[in-house]
Amino acid sequence: MRYLFAELKKTAQMFPRMLLMAVLLMALIGGVAFCGVKAMDKEPLAVGADIGIVVRGDNRMTRMALAYVENMESAAKLCRFVQVSEEEGMRKLEGGELAALVLLPEELVEGIMNGQNPTVDVVFPKDARIEALLFRELTESGAGLLRVAQAQIYGAADTAAQYGLEEELAAMETEIDSYNLAFAPDRLALYDEETASATGRLSTAQYYAAAGAVLFLLLAGMAAYPVMQPEPAVFRRQLAGEGVGLSWQSMCRWLCGFLYLFCLAGFAWLVLRVAALLAPDLTGRLAEILVSGRNRVPAGVRAGMILLVLAAVTAFQCMIYNLAGSRTGSILLVFLLSVGMVYLSGGFVPSALLPQTMGAVGDVLPTACMIRACGGLLAGSGAGMGRCAVGLCLYAAAFGMAACLTERFRSRRFG
Amino acid sequence: MITATGIVSSYGRRRILKGASFTAARGECVGIVGANGCGKSTLLSILAGTLKPKSGMVVYGGQVAWGCTRKRMKGMTDLVNKRGAADAARRGAGGMRCDREVIRRMTGYVPQENPLIPELTVYDNLRLWYPDKRSLKQELETGFLSLMGIGAFCDKRADALSGGMKKRVSIGIAMAGRPPILLLDEPGAALDLVCKEDIRSYLQTYLAHGGTVVITTHEESELSLCGRIYVMKNGVLEQADNRLRGRELARLF
Repeated sequence: MRYLFAELKKTAQMFPRMLLMAVLLMALIGGVAFCGVKAMDKEPLAVGADIGIVVRGDNRMTRMALAYVENMESAAKLCRFVQVSEEEGMRKLEGGELAALVLLPEELVEGIMNGQNPTVDVVFPKDARIEALLFRELTESGAGLLRVAQAQIYGAADTAAQYGLEEELAAMETEIDSYNLAFAPDRLALYDEETASATGRLSTAQYYAAAGAVLFLLLAGMAAYPVMQPEPAVFRRQLAGEGVGLSWQSMCRWLCGFLYLFCLAGFAWLVLRVAALLAPDLTGRLAEILVSGRNRVPAGVRAGMILLVLAAVTAFQCMIYNLAGSRTGSILLVFLLSVGMVYLSGGFVPSALLPQTMGAVGDVLPTACMIRACGGLLAGSGAGMGRCAVGLCLYAAAFGMAACLTERFRSRRFG
Repeated sequence: MITATGIVSSYGRRRILKGASFTAARGECVGIVGANGCGKSTLLSILAGTLKPKSGMVVYGGQVAWGCTRKRMKGMTDLVNKRGAADAARRGAGGMRCDREVIRRMTGYVPQENPLIPELTVYDNLRLWYPDKRSLKQELETGFLSLMGIGAFCDKRADALSGGMKKRVSIGIAMAGRPPILLLDEPGAALDLVCKEDIRSYLQTYLAHGGTVVITTHEESELSLCGRIYVMKNGVLEQADNRLRGRELARLF
């Protein structure tokens, strides 16, 4: 316990310095990130998805309709239509070359015109990426619009027949079309209901706030070297000789690092509270953007999740400091691994926009779990929290064990 | 007081110690000299229990600290007392084992690097190694720590101390629990003459109180304390004439 108290005392003494270093570091990284975002903002985002089209039965009318859709400006901006055979299309879909495969039936246009309504099959890949997600939303919305339009057309025809107005129907078509357009379902309302987003159920602001918080915590470990850096080997071995085991030494450093991050998070919270008092409008607007309506996660669960994230981050940093040995090596490794892991987990560019392999790797990294947990807290949604909690516990335990094993491995020659 | 027999140690494939043996009586100062990198610090680390030897035996005051033994350490100690270290080592040969309690109780170790936490005060650093506040206070007021004048800079942070002050605190740390054996690894290195003289006088006082000192050094002033000098050469220790100094002694390396 004497060692623990000494380490805690050291942490308390070094906290102001570490806090200052963390704030400066974040200001620097934040500035670079801001400049990068501003520079990238000039380039319009283009989603060029390849959509496979299988035309069953070569029909002049179908080819004409297809050419018409392909030449529509809105469609051309979003996707490219590639005519393929069914087998080739399925193969390309599985290989990730196509975002979706549209199977057009024989006599499609004629079928629509005579009311048979032939089915158009749209096949999506199992792990739909952003292009496929977007195309799915467009397809579903388009199908919805068609359903409504058809219902209106048939309704108008049946009503006209009921009142013996079949002959007048031809003259009324223009007026019906005008009403149809005027009262057609509000597209904006439809898109408001269903959002296709690379950031999942979180808003973009929430997603990047969560990723930013995780990156901040991970990089704050660079400033934590006074408490996380192991003492010189001779000192550690002497302590071990005095009964302060190597694993206990690692545990004490983990605890000090955890307290440092906890105080850092507390400090950030305090800054926000003070800002809320000084500039309530600004913080109110910020809260409006970042926090979704009513928070459905109980306060206890929220506190628990924050502690778990801090525990996992500290255990990761503890492992790196034990592994690297030297101060410079540790700081460099914390920086590189943190940035790399956050990037792979979609902290800079959402996973859905990353190459499939990178996205798959990023999904199993601890940072993905941390971002999901922080995002869940901001969105106030308890969905998936249990899985995140279990994941964070496992990661914290695995990193903690790795830290202890590294310490033991490095000292294996010693008695 | 100290019997070290056939200590073997290696770093990877490079064998540093090839059966180093020496003895030291109670109240005696034993000096170990040798060229840089010959294994002096390795031997001291083994004696202090911070490095595991490949084989050999170390006995402090009749109690086995390091031993190749299949038996429990106490059984080995009984065997040593009955048949002597060399015979006991032969009879009980097994994996290397260490009795931490014996090493902790019997030795104080002053490594080349000072075992200090730079961000803490001298008092907090000392508190880490002393079992309770009362014993530390007593040492600071009337004990060995007061003799070394540590009380005068007890409130200073360790990173604000001079090299001599740090070394004095290191010796003070090694003195926690008043061990009968003090192991010093080049205590005078990079210190000025006044500091060296101070350390020499503390060691004289310690020896006068019946303590045993094993010191690795290149300093003639420290060698003058030694009743016996061993030269480390090719991984073994050879006793030298303790009157030899300077070039005459260096010729033996």
